[in-house]
Amino acid sequence: MRWLLAGMLFALAVGLAIHTAALRAENARSRHRIETQYRAVWDRVSEFRRLSVQKLKEASPESLAEAHWAHLRREGERREGFAQ
Amino acid sequence: MNRSELLRVRVAFFVLGLVPVFLAGWLGWVQVAQAGEVQGRGAVPLRLIPATADRQAQLSESVPAPRGSIVDRNGVVLALDCETYEVRADIKVPRGVCRDVATYKTWLAQLVDDLALALSDDTTLADRNDARRHHAERLAKVFQREFKTASLPASGPVPKEPKELQRAELLVAGGVDVLSVIEALRRLPEQRRYATVGLHFLRSFRRDWPERALTHGLVGTTGTRWLKKEGGAATLETFGVCGLEATPELSPEAAVARHFLRDGEGRPYFQAPLPDMHAAKVLHSTIDIEMQRIAVRELTAQAERGAREGKVTIPKWGALVMVEIATGDVLAAASWHRDVKNPGAASFTPLQALFEPGSIVKPLVLAYAHEAGVLDWGHVFDCAPGSADYRERIAKLGRAKGVRDDHDCHDLSAHGILVNSSNIGAAYCGLLLSREQWNGYMGFFGFGKTLGLGLPHEPFGGPHKLSFAANKSMREFRANSAISFSFGYELMVTPLQMTRAYLRMLRGGKADLRLSRGLAIDGVLQPNGGETVAGGAFRPEVVDAVRSALVDVVSRDPKATGTYLHRDMLKELGIDLHGVIGGKTGTASSNVLIKDRGTVNVRNASFVGFLPADNPRWLAMCVLQKDDSAKFYGGTYAAPPVVRLLLQCQQLEQRRLLHQDSQNGSSGQARGITGTPEDSGWGRGAPETTSVGR
Repeated sequence: MRWLLAGMLFALAVGLAIHTAALRAENARSRHRIETQYRAVWDRVSEFRRLSVQKLKEASPESLAEAHWAHLRREGERREGFAQ
Repeated sequence: MNRSELLRVRVAFFVLGLVPVFLAGWLGWVQVAQAGEVQGRGAVPLRLIPATADRQAQLSESVPAPRGSIVDRNGVVLALDCETYEVRADIKVPRGVCRDVATYKTWLAQLVDDLALALSDDTTLADRNDARRHHAERLAKVFQREFKTASLPASGPVPKEPKELQRAELLVAGGVDVLSVIEALRRLPEQRRYATVGLHFLRSFRRDWPERALTHGLVGTTGTRWLKKEGGAATLETFGVCGLEATPELSPEAAVARHFLRDGEGRPYFQAPLPDMHAAKVLHSTIDIEMQRIAVRELTAQAERGAREGKVTIPKWGALVMVEIATGDVLAAASWHRDVKNPGAASFTPLQALFEPGSIVKPLVLAYAHEAGVLDWGHVFDCAPGSADYRERIAKLGRAKGVRDDHDCHDLSAHGILVNSSNIGAAYCGLLLSREQWNGYMGFFGFGKTLGLGLPHEPFGGPHKLSFAANKSMREFRANSAISFSFGYELMVTPLQMTRAYLRMLRGGKADLRLSRGLAIDGVLQPNGGETVAGGAFRPEVVDAVRSALVDVVSRDPKATGTYLHRDMLKELGIDLHGVIGGKTGTASSNVLIKDRGTVNVRNASFVGFLPADNPRWLAMCVLQKDDSAKFYGGTYAAPPVVRLLLQCQQLEQRRLLHQDSQNGSSGQARGITGTPEDSGWGRGAPETTSVGR
C-alpha cells in the first residue's frame, strides 16, 4: 500500500509537470495568437486611415467635378457613337 | 509481494529515481560547472544569467509619435499623419541552397519575384503587372547590392566569404498601407522555403494633405533628413519645411517602445499592448478652406482670363488674401505663378512676393497724417499740374522727376484725393509729415517688419535702405522719399504686410494677423490670442473719414478709380457696389531684377477691399504683377477677384448662419475623416469612426 501511494504520488507529480508544460505551451500559443490578432488590428488601422483619406480626397468639389466631367464626356462619346 | 516482485519494483523505482538525479546533475553542470560567460559571436561575452535569457526572449519595437494634425477654423482636416509600415527583411539563405551557385541564384530570384508579387497585390492598381515588374527590378538591384552577388563564382558551391552572401538585411518597401499587400507580405515567411526569411514591419507615418492643391503655401510641407545621435547612430527626422508645418510645436515627441516576446524560432509572443501615447496635437488654423477654395479659384481665373484666346498676356505672379478684421485671422491666402511645374516648390506669393504697392498706400498716408493732426480733412488742395500749389509745395523742392496724375485733377479735399487717387494730392499730404513722422508711419503700419506668423522664408521689405540714411538732407528726403512714399514707391511690401497695414488702420497699431488659433494638446485648446482690442487705434472720425472715401472709390463717379469696377460688376453680377464694398485701387510701375533677364519693367495691379462698407468685417487684397509692356490697372484687373471673393464670403456666411449648408463641409457632402484629428490610430488601437466637420 505504501509503495502504491508513493507510485501514485510520483505519477501525480509527473502528470502535474506534464500538465504545467502543456498549460505553458497553450499559454504561448494563445499569446502568439493574440500577437497575430494585435498586429492584424494595426494593419487594419493603416488601411482604415488610408481609405478614409482617399475617400475624403475623392469627395472634394474638384474631384467630384472632374468625375462628373469625365462621365459627361463618356456619355457624349457614347451618344455620338450611337448616332453614327 | 514475493522477493522477485519486490526486486523488480525496487529496480523500477531506482530507474525512475535516476531521472531527478540526472536533471539535478544537468542543472548543476549548466548552472555551476559552466556558469559564467560564453564567448558569443560578438566581442562582448554573453553572461549566463536569467536576465540574459529574458533579454534574448524579449524584443521591442519602436513606435514613432505622430506630428499631429492641422485643421481649418471649422475642423476640416488639412494635414494629418497616416499610419504606414516600413517593411525590412532579414534574409538568411538556407544551407542547402548555398551548395550550388545556380540554386542560390534561383532561390534569390524567386524570393525577389514573390516579394514583388506581394507588393503588387493591390486591386486598386491600374496595372498590377507593371507594378510587379517595377518592384521586381528595384528589388533585384537591392538584392544584388546587399548580397554582393557580383563576387559569386560562375559555378560550384557558394563561398563562405563574404558573409553577405549568406545573410543580408534590406529594405523591401516603405509607406506600405494597403491591407492586401500587408497580408500578402505577412504570409510570405510562412512558406516552408522561406522559413529563414524574417520580415519586420516597422511602424511609421506618412504625412498627408487632403486639400493639398489649395494649401501648398499656407499649410506647407515636410521633409526628412538624417540626424546624427550620440554614439554615431543616425535616425531619420521629419521636419516642417514651410507654412504651418514649420510650427515648432508640431515637432513629434520621442518614439515609444512596445515590448513583446519571441520563441526560439523568432515567432512573436504577446506581452503587453502599446502604452497610450499622448493624443496627437492639433493645430487649429485660422484658414477657412471653403473661402480658400474660392480665393484660389478666383485668383486663377483672373490670372488666366483671356490667355487661352491669346487676347491678353498673363501675369508673372498673383496673390489674393482675405482676413477677418475683428480678429486678424487669415481666412484665405491664394498664390499663383506663371509657368510653374511644381506648385509645391513655388514661392508663396502672399508671404514672399515683394512689390511696390503704389496708390493703395494713399489711405494709410492720409489717415496717418490726419491722426497726427497735420492734415485737415476738409482742406482743399489745388491738385492741377503746374498750379500755384504744385509749384509752391513740390516743384520748388527740386525733385528730378515730376509728379503726375493719370487724369488731371483740380480742387480736391482729402476725400477727393483718395477717390481720384491723385498722386499730386497724396504728395501734398505726405509733405505735411516730418521725417520722424514718416519713420513712425513705417513702424505703425509694420512695413519692413516681420508678420510674426512664425512662417519661415519671410522677406521683410520696407523702405529703401537709403531713404532714412542719416546723411540724407531734409530737403532731399522731402523731395524724393516723402513724395515717393506718399503714393507707394521707394517701399517694398508683401501682400500680407499690406493687408496687415490696412488692418492696423482699421483696428489700431497693435493689430496683427493670425494664422493659428491655438494648439490642442490632449484635446485641450491653448488659444493663440486674437479677438482682443488692439491698442493705438486711430480716432473713430479718422477711420470713418477714410472708410467713407474708400466707399466712394467704388462708385459711378467717372473720376473715381473704381468706376470701371462698379460698371463691370453691375453688368456681370447685377449689383450696385456703391455702399456695399469699399476699396482702393493701385497700379505701380517698377524696375525689378529678374534672373536671366536683367532689369525688367513690371507693373503691379492691386486692390484692397472691405465688406460691409459701413461696418467692415472682412478685408481682402489682390496683387497681380505683369512683366511685359501690357498696361493694366488695379481697378479693372486686381479688383474683380477681390469683389467676387468678398461677395461669395458673405453668401457663405449667410448660408452657414441659416444652417442651409452642410454641417460637415461644402456642397452638401459629408467630408469627414475616420478618427478624430487627435487620434494617432496606433497609439490607441482602432479609431472610432467620427466625422470631423464644423
